[in-house]
Amino acid sequence: MIQRISYAFRETIANFRRNVTLSVAAVVTSAVSLLLVGTTFLIQRAFDNLLVQWRGDVGMIVFVRPDVTEEARLFIRQNLESQPNVIDVDELVYLDRTQSYEEAKRVFAGDPTTLSLLSIDTIPSQFKVVPITTDAELVRSLANQYRTLPGVAGVSLAEDEFEVISTLSSFVRTVTIGMSLVLLLVAVILIWNTIRTAIFARRREIEVMKLVGATDWFIRVPFILEGLFQGLLGALVSCAGLWGLNQAWTGGVAGFKPGTGVSSLIVPDSYANGVMVALLVIGAVAGAVGSGVASSKFLDV
Amino acid sequence: MIRLENVSKRYGAEIVAVRDASFEVAKGEFVFLVGPSGSGKSTLLRLMNRQERPERGNVWVAGRNIGELANSQIPQLRRQLGNVFQDYKLLPNKTLFENVAFALEVIGKPRHLVSQQVPQVLELVGLAGKEDRFPDQLSGGEQQRVSIARAFVNRPLILLADEPTGNLDPATGEGIMSLLEAINSTGTTIVMATHDHRVVNAMRKRVIQLDRGVIVRDQERGVYE
Repeated sequence: MIQRISYAFRETIANFRRNVTLSVAAVVTSAVSLLLVGTTFLIQRAFDNLLVQWRGDVGMIVFVRPDVTEEARLFIRQNLESQPNVIDVDELVYLDRTQSYEEAKRVFAGDPTTLSLLSIDTIPSQFKVVPITTDAELVRSLANQYRTLPGVAGVSLAEDEFEVISTLSSFVRTVTIGMSLVLLLVAVILIWNTIRTAIFARRREIEVMKLVGATDWFIRVPFILEGLFQGLLGALVSCAGLWGLNQAWTGGVAGFKPGTGVSSLIVPDSYANGVMVALLVIGAVAGAVGSGVASSKFLDV
Repeated sequence: MIRLENVSKRYGAEIVAVRDASFEVAKGEFVFLVGPSGSGKSTLLRLMNRQERPERGNVWVAGRNIGELANSQIPQLRRQLGNVFQDYKLLPNKTLFENVAFALEVIGKPRHLVSQQVPQVLELVGLAGKEDRFPDQLSGGEQQRVSIARAFVNRPLILLADEPTGNLDPATGEGIMSLLEAINSTGTTIVMATHDHRVVNAMRKRVIQLDRGVIVRDQERGVYE
């Protein structure tokens, strides 16, 4: 058994060497495509941070002073609920200070200065308002009205804050996912072609192996391993690239003034690590699929 | 050991390679398949090691109807057969030792067995001391000996040889034939396709003659006509 495993590995490495240019092409292509896949994930996550406050069609946030009295808070709520033609009253959500603080931790993940200025005692609580009207002017005039209510610290409108980002985000997502899928396909085809070439280069050897009674899997495994390694190697390179990108990004974002919103575009390391594991898996699977298909098609065993 | 029952094989719709061939080869026999090029000798050998499947009829090898073998069972069949070819089919990037060892390694024989059996068989074919040479450093006769060593190292029940002397001068061919005879005397059944008159006439073994895919003669201690 050990001997068979060592045989498979020796053959895999020998094949790789014999075919350096094609192998490198396959590795680089899978690296680039996987890097794009990973970047898509990270960009999505960064935008998500920015949009987390507005998740669930929230169109307006009414911030309530932390020191507000219970009566004033109730008055604000009544005011909101008195507009069932503009506001979806059932969707009205109130986040108390603890919940708001939890949310702020995510929004200001990349902005520790701002975050440190906040505490459960000083953070405003908030009403998340989902409008039912499509009339933006109506929502805006209502927002202006709420700003004057006692106890209201401020009112933010989604339109001002994130409409652009949201559009940008879905555009970027579509483009990067599209490009990475195409590149991933190219990587699989390149790996497939590398394996085909490797099989052709060794057709004499394979013929002899078949005639002396080597099993199909014994012949196939080194080729499948080769493709798997190419995919995995590409994934490793893409992980290194992704790590570098994220570090540079984090550094760049940290340079922005706190409170500009850009700082919340930061992606936590734990998430980036998760993406890297996913890339390794995708790379290995893509490589194994490409080489597996090639070896069953061209070995004819 | 080998039995063909009314075997026919065509390539495409037109070319008939073998037509209604029936014969039996007993254990330990030495049989020549003779006839001009294209008479079906090679096809018969390819039917015996299951490189081809018969279109009609049955091919029995070592007690199994090999036309009915599943693809996954073919390796087991081939481990009981040795194959020798006119063009040797040696791997140019492997040494003589590695070429022979390869046949054992790819069927998963443990290393100690390989290092024990390969020198033995190289001694038998008269190539001891040349283990580290590469095929292009050997003469044609020596390369054919390596090919025979590779076919025999697994001690097969049957050795199938397709024109093993075809590329060799008469004297070298004689050497190869006496080697095959020695292997035959250990009990290994040998089926050899050839159109080399001298070899057939010198050996006086059973001769099966083919003409355009049909067996026209099957004679004990025959000659090439």
